[in-house]
Amino acid sequence: MASEQPQQGGIRLKVRVNGEQHESVVDPRMNLADYLREELRLTATHVGCEHGVCGICNVLVDGQTVRSCLMLAVQVDGKEVLTVEGLAEGGKLHPIQEAFIEEHGLQCGFCTGGFMMAICELFDRNPSPSEEEIKEVVGGQICRCTGYNAILRSVQNAAAKMGASRS
Amino acid sequence: MAIEIPKNLDELPTTRPRYVGRGIRRVEDVGLLTGRVEFVDDVVLPRMLHCAILRSPFPHARITGVDTQAAEALEGVAAVVTGEDARRWSLPAQSSPEGWGTHCIAGDKVHYVGEPVAAVAASSRRVAEDALELIEVDYEPLEPVADPFKAMKPESPQVLDAQETNVMLDRVFTWGDVDGAFAEAAHVFQEKFRWNRLGANPTETFGCISEWDPMSLDLTIHGSIQSPGMFGLGRAATFSLPSNKVNIISHAHGGSFGGKGGTRGCDISCLLSRKVDGRPVKWIEDRGEYLLSGGGQAWDRHYEVALAVDAQGIVSGLKVGLVDDLGATGEAYGAISAAKPLAAFTGPYTIPVAQYDLKLVATNKLPCGPYRGMGPPPHFFVLEQMMDIAARSLGEDPAEFRRKNFIPADQFPYTIASGNEYDSGNYGEVLDQVLALSDYSALRAAQVEARAEGRLVGVGVANAIEPGVFDWNAYAIVGMPGTGVPEGATVNIDILGNATVRVGFSLEGQGQYTLVCQLVADYFGYEPENVRVVQLDTQSAPPSFGPGGSRLGVAITGAVLGACERIREKMARVVAVLMQSEPENIEFMDGKFTLKGAPGAEMTVAEVAGTMLARSDLLPPDIDPRPEATHVWTAAGRTPADEEGRAKSYLTAAHAVHIVQVEIDPETGMVEIQRYCLADDCGTRLNPDTVEGQTEGSVVQGIGAALLEEYVYDEDAQPLTTSFMDYLMPTVFDAPKLEMVAVETPSPFTPLGAKGCGEGAIHTTPAAVMCAINDALAPLGTSAREVPAAPMRLWKLIKEARERASDENNNY
Ligand code: FES
Ligand code: FES
Repeated sequence: MASEQPQQGGIRLKVRVNGEQHESVVDPRMNLADYLREELRLTATHVGCEHGVCGICNVLVDGQTVRSCLMLAVQVDGKEVLTVEGLAEGGKLHPIQEAFIEEHGLQCGFCTGGFMMAICELFDRNPSPSEEEIKEVVGGQICRCTGYNAILRSVQNAAAKMGASRS
Repeated sequence: MAIEIPKNLDELPTTRPRYVGRGIRRVEDVGLLTGRVEFVDDVVLPRMLHCAILRSPFPHARITGVDTQAAEALEGVAAVVTGEDARRWSLPAQSSPEGWGTHCIAGDKVHYVGEPVAAVAASSRRVAEDALELIEVDYEPLEPVADPFKAMKPESPQVLDAQETNVMLDRVFTWGDVDGAFAEAAHVFQEKFRWNRLGANPTETFGCISEWDPMSLDLTIHGSIQSPGMFGLGRAATFSLPSNKVNIISHAHGGSFGGKGGTRGCDISCLLSRKVDGRPVKWIEDRGEYLLSGGGQAWDRHYEVALAVDAQGIVSGLKVGLVDDLGATGEAYGAISAAKPLAAFTGPYTIPVAQYDLKLVATNKLPCGPYRGMGPPPHFFVLEQMMDIAARSLGEDPAEFRRKNFIPADQFPYTIASGNEYDSGNYGEVLDQVLALSDYSALRAAQVEARAEGRLVGVGVANAIEPGVFDWNAYAIVGMPGTGVPEGATVNIDILGNATVRVGFSLEGQGQYTLVCQLVADYFGYEPENVRVVQLDTQSAPPSFGPGGSRLGVAITGAVLGACERIREKMARVVAVLMQSEPENIEFMDGKFTLKGAPGAEMTVAEVAGTMLARSDLLPPDIDPRPEATHVWTAAGRTPADEEGRAKSYLTAAHAVHIVQVEIDPETGMVEIQRYCLADDCGTRLNPDTVEGQTEGSVVQGIGAALLEEYVYDEDAQPLTTSFMDYLMPTVFDAPKLEMVAVETPSPFTPLGAKGCGEGAIHTTPAAVMCAINDALAPLGTSAREVPAAPMRLWKLIKEARERASDENNNY
């Protein structure tokens, strides 16, 4: 959506997104998903339900997965945000992205960003999660295309890749 | 010169290991995974406005006044439209059956909750939504009707004023001597079933940006549109525009499954754009709107079915009575879903005669639309339950009972009672494969043990036909005009020999761009990742329908290979001139043209393309110097429907058998799927990985249908499932591990022998899961006849059965 004029009630916001510092004046009611998509034009964060169920809008705020449709933009003031755009670096895909390609973990790809962000956080906590631990995280997300089997395989593949790169 | 499209993989002009026929990295994935692919909500156009829609809270009411003044006065609001604008600038939606469409914004009456009554274009969505709250609508509530049986009665409230009844269609189709078959049957089985309304729910809702210039009347629409060509024709009809005034730019979209819908919202954004002098107006449906009044609510059905079986256990007749609650209007093609079962009415069986007693009824609910499978999944649910009822009553094993009723492998092509022709199949082999995969006898042995412990364990064996490569003739009985479903592709080789393919459909998830790359790579000796696929808008693209009706894989294969053939033929003529020979003497293999009997005389595709483009002066004058060709593929040999709806319609018939093991917890009614095995045969698998992906996704949608998903309306037609808290989408916890095996019986009628397979497993899964549930319930003497088999429903059935049993015990 087009950006609105910063209104009188606009609130100043300083935030680091994918390593880049941003300063904005935002409408207090603007949610984080809209802020990322409309103000910063980081449109890889998709919204699927806007009521906190599907997890498609996940981003990491200070390393924690949050539903960006449920968080207000002003709540990330002073924080660090990671979005899908921040995954690939230097023209190279993140191992999680590689794994999704190899295992056909995506079809339409609309949901995939939300899965990847939640999985990033999982790997930060637990580099070699069990199938049950993976399911706990994937279970908070909706994908209508893949039927989830391929997503589970992708996460396992990614865990192996990242384990290998660590050791 | 006539071109020959390869009928099997061996005919491709390559000696290398082929790309077609195996899974490769999808060309779509990098863009999708990095967020670079542009979905429609990512698009921002200069001076763009944002639309929000005010919707009716009543299922049935007169509108006595709409006051938009305050909304118009709000800062940031550019325009407000009401039913008056819709009547001035648009026609009622086309519908099936005809005459059951309404305007995109209600006029003097609303017919369902969520029907648009006004809309705003403003500087942002937030301002537009603020403005909605300032619009005052005066309603005079009318009595609603939510039950199709009530709606059919003469004293029922009338849903559409323009009609005299709520019955959109009431006809009995009879194929053969059905009464005779039932009179002579050794056994007749009858049962009633209820399939509740469910829907597509792609993760991305519908969205569009419309620009309608009030001077030129040119209309351009960006959108998440499944079938851009059809969508454009629909808009032209609605706005009385010549079709060449409407240009559709479809964006990659987050799935569809038939459920993008969105025509009303799109038409409203068009009206708004016209009112604001052609500025772009974006409308992004939110999930609440989608669940309340979006696309793809489907299959709200009441069935009454009878099966005639002879003394040998051969099914001799089938009667299906269907009352289909299509909701308030016929605008969303819900009726087609009731017609499509004709393409595979008797499933994989030899049932020689059949009858379809079909009633399409209007109620004050959201108009039904398409959903993956487009109607047959509930049909196969009832057919397969009947097969089990018969087998159980005759003391036969459900797998073997089915087997003896299968169409034998040597009988293809086979014409079924309802008129369609199946191309090929080997149903016994598919069954054998899945019996072996599941270790069926071990499953049965385990079931005996579990039952002895009092556990409710069941095994379901079910199968279905997936009609593939859709054809309008299948829908003749509900008055859909149309014939032929073309798909085109333009293949272009540039001056350095690189290939670009131009198509008319956007990314949706099935991996068709990857398939296009595989085909061109094999044909011209390229690497798939070096082939580029470009999507064009509808005014520039070759004729295209896009994905839908399990056809695009087959159709785009025909289009791309046809275009490649045309280029080869053209290049062979050029090479013949350059080598001073005749085209008959030029051979083509592995991307090289060679002259027969002249070793060393060869030119690569790149050399020929370069010569054609750089030195057209060397070419004979009648040769088009562009190394480019377009081919439009359409299924051949389709026939129009006769009086009883019989037509050769869908070109291919894929087949699958699923075996499912479930256990029901009697205390909660929860179903646990313990094993899920399937074998399927969709002919040549052009890309086995993507076929598998479609199957895996479709199984889980089928499980959603069988166990979870339901759009619930109360008896006053108020929708109760308007968030993902209430409408239960399957998650990873509902997805079993799948064990799969493939059988390949190529189609004799299609490019490379492939069959339509995109809709896939949802044809079979709900039937299989319900067969398993009923197998588990059988010892209790009860059965589940309503889908979804939600825990509460099963718990009640189990409790009632136990109470009956204990009453009976007490009586003795
Ligand atoms: S869009 Fe945020 S959870 Fe669904
Ligand atoms: S890949 Fe389409 S919703 Fe997950």
